[in-house]
Amino acid sequence: MNITCTTEKLKNAVSLAERMTGKALTLPTLHAILLIASGNSIKIRSTNLNLGIEIEIPATVEEEGQVLIKGEILANVCNHLSDASEVRLTLDHDNLTIQTPQHTTVIKSLPADDFPTLPIVEGEQIELKTSVLQEGIRSVYFCAAITDIKPEIASIFMYSEGSNLCFVATDSFRLAEKKIQVKGIPEISKILIPFKNIADILRVLDAAPDTIRITYSRNQIAFYANGLYLTSRLIDGGFPPYQLIIPKETLTKVVLLKQELLNTLRLSTIFADKFFQVSFAIPEDMKNITLSSKNSDVGSSVSIVDAAVEGAAIEVDFNLKYFLDVFQALTGDSVSISFTQPNKPIVVKSVSDNSFLYLLMPTNR
Amino acid sequence: METTLTQLWDTCLGVIESQLTKATFTTWFKNTGINKEEEGIIYISVPNEFVREWLMTKYNKLILKAIVEHASHIRAIEFVISRLPAPAVSPDTSLFAVPANQPSTLPLQNVYINRDDNLNPRYTFNTFIVGQFNELAYASAQGVVKRLQNAYNPLFIYGASGLGKTHLIQAIGNEIKKLYPDKKVLYTSLEKFMNEYVSSVQNNRQQAFQDKYCKFDVLIMDDIQFISGKEGTQNALFHIFNVLYEQNKNIIFSSDKHPNHIIGLEDRLKTRFNAGMTIDIQEPDLESRMAIIQEKALSQEFPLEPEVLSYIASVITGSIREIEGVLNLIAMQSDMKQKAISLTEIKGLIKNSVKPKRVISIDSVVKMVSDYYNLDEQVIYEKTRRKEIVRARQIIMFVLREDFNESYPSIGAKLGGKDHTTVIHSYEKIKGELVSDPHLMKELEDIRILFK
Repeated sequence: MNITCTTEKLKNAVSLAERMTGKALTLPTLHAILLIASGNSIKIRSTNLNLGIEIEIPATVEEEGQVLIKGEILANVCNHLSDASEVRLTLDHDNLTIQTPQHTTVIKSLPADDFPTLPIVEGEQIELKTSVLQEGIRSVYFCAAITDIKPEIASIFMYSEGSNLCFVATDSFRLAEKKIQVKGIPEISKILIPFKNIADILRVLDAAPDTIRITYSRNQIAFYANGLYLTSRLIDGGFPPYQLIIPKETLTKVVLLKQELLNTLRLSTIFADKFFQVSFAIPEDMKNITLSSKNSDVGSSVSIVDAAVEGAAIEVDFNLKYFLDVFQALTGDSVSISFTQPNKPIVVKSVSDNSFLYLLMPTNR
Repeated sequence: METTLTQLWDTCLGVIESQLTKATFTTWFKNTGINKEEEGIIYISVPNEFVREWLMTKYNKLILKAIVEHASHIRAIEFVISRLPAPAVSPDTSLFAVPANQPSTLPLQNVYINRDDNLNPRYTFNTFIVGQFNELAYASAQGVVKRLQNAYNPLFIYGASGLGKTHLIQAIGNEIKKLYPDKKVLYTSLEKFMNEYVSSVQNNRQQAFQDKYCKFDVLIMDDIQFISGKEGTQNALFHIFNVLYEQNKNIIFSSDKHPNHIIGLEDRLKTRFNAGMTIDIQEPDLESRMAIIQEKALSQEFPLEPEVLSYIASVITGSIREIEGVLNLIAMQSDMKQKAISLTEIKGLIKNSVKPKRVISIDSVVKMVSDYYNLDEQVIYEKTRRKEIVRARQIIMFVLREDFNESYPSIGAKLGGKDHTTVIHSYEKIKGELVSDPHLMKELEDIRILFK
């Protein structure tokens, strides 16, 4: 193997691939990144058997070939290559030489035969704006369960409903749903992306062009964009029928300014007990609501927040952390909170935006 | 079978392990197993697509060789992805120990309905209780699963509400999915089908709608009786039915009426529904009810005394759903009181669930039936032998005897002084005709609705 390519592109590709090496796995082969030079490009491939990625970047290939290099070492070397525009990779027996005008490094390679191929996914195809996918996932992923006990909810659920693409996640204490209108979207009955893979998928999407093609089957999904191939395991299971638990009626509705509520909640956090409890006291048809928290070691706080209250008086406690989480997904400057009964989930929405919905269970009193 | 396959795989793993490094072996062969063997092909279950891909390209030969050494009749191997069993959770952490101040969980249901096919995994043949009342329906359902493409098509199951139609047809779907994983199954209710059809018309996507339904290998549709009078939906179903039928795909319907008795159903659909096998589920007899109660009580881990069991079975007749409701009631009460409930208490508890014997005066029966046939109430009592009046009179006698258990002489006396033998004759006549005359059956059904 003997090639030259741009340093910048190699650097970016290797840093993406390095994150997907199987560091936790016992098989040393999977800690490595495979470089394949052929035609007029070089492919960089890695997998941790949950996710797999292959990035193709243009290169001048003088001699074809492939080599397997320990991911960590390759990534570190690439990171410290100077700003030289071009880099040359040559393979001599078992040694890979990486050369720029300033540096020459020689890295020992591993046997490449045992490096797995990536699964090719056959199934339904969709083409999507990358931004839709990013927005949808970012709006809900913080709600997903993190344990593997129930894999169905340790995932992001995607499906289509009419011309909307819906994203849902829940850890059974709260639930977030985001609907994004996508013209001419084909029917998607179910895609369950494991939560574990979400951070890596988002990172790759950040580096992807504007539109991305998706192919999915029951167990596997693949994202394609020029020169990029990312494939992830999917969860084969059913997401709970969450629509059933979205409250149909509202007994009390409170509208308040987002920033004001956020500041108050942050203040309450200082005095929260070990269960992060905050109490909401909402008087009937008044112009404000009271938030209070108390910690026997630190002290207590009571805050009054201006609000428009409609409906009956109610007192409910929440876990502050769960409440604070929703702010990253709320747009607009005012928030509406709908209550039904003290032990029923509440609905948090942005007043100006109907596409996002957050369900939150109160804490037991 | 199960154990031998497991043993076979264990021996093969032994052979394979000796030829690979430990790390390679654990990475690729952890959580694998033999799923099933069929016609000389062994299906190996693997945890995910990555492992499947690599075992297929790299270790196919090695695995096949190891298997053939121990089971020479095997010709090929295939890899299927199957889910790992969820790690066991000790019940005391998840179910009971919810401390105060912890957020309570959203009431998400535990039984997840599969979104691909809408089937509820809870409904299987194993949990279906077979008695005299439904053995025919059960046998034909089994027939569909076993013979699939050569089976009766369509299978049409009908019976009153709460007798297990949904359970049976979903069990067919679940069983087909288990036995033939590559078959695409869809369970839907007519209402859902109709809503989808309506929205496809709105969005001008009828073709996509039809294509979607035509690609299934098994289409199961519940509560088909709601199609009555919906012409557009009937038309859409007609075309989908034809496409599926021609390709020998299985179609299964359930309804609360025989297709001939669904009002406002086009003839072309009627004949098609009747083309395969039309079977009804009757109300369960006493023994079946006892078996059902026992099974339900067991599944709720709620033991019942034998005399309680037979008492419930004798007083709660009719739909299985009612039986379930009564059992839940008893289970909850005993849970609350923290002790088993005595028979006397149970009698008090379920007195509201027991249907009172219907009391109705002979006059009002005469009035309703004559109204139904558009006759004047008075002519029934007169001594006339006009055909339509005789007919109505006979039906009145039949209903009084069959449904209200009036004695023959008293029926005769009330209906213009007829002899009790006349009444017996009428009763037997109608009873005999009911067997062969679907119109009469329908009429009686309608009349009985009037009494409720």
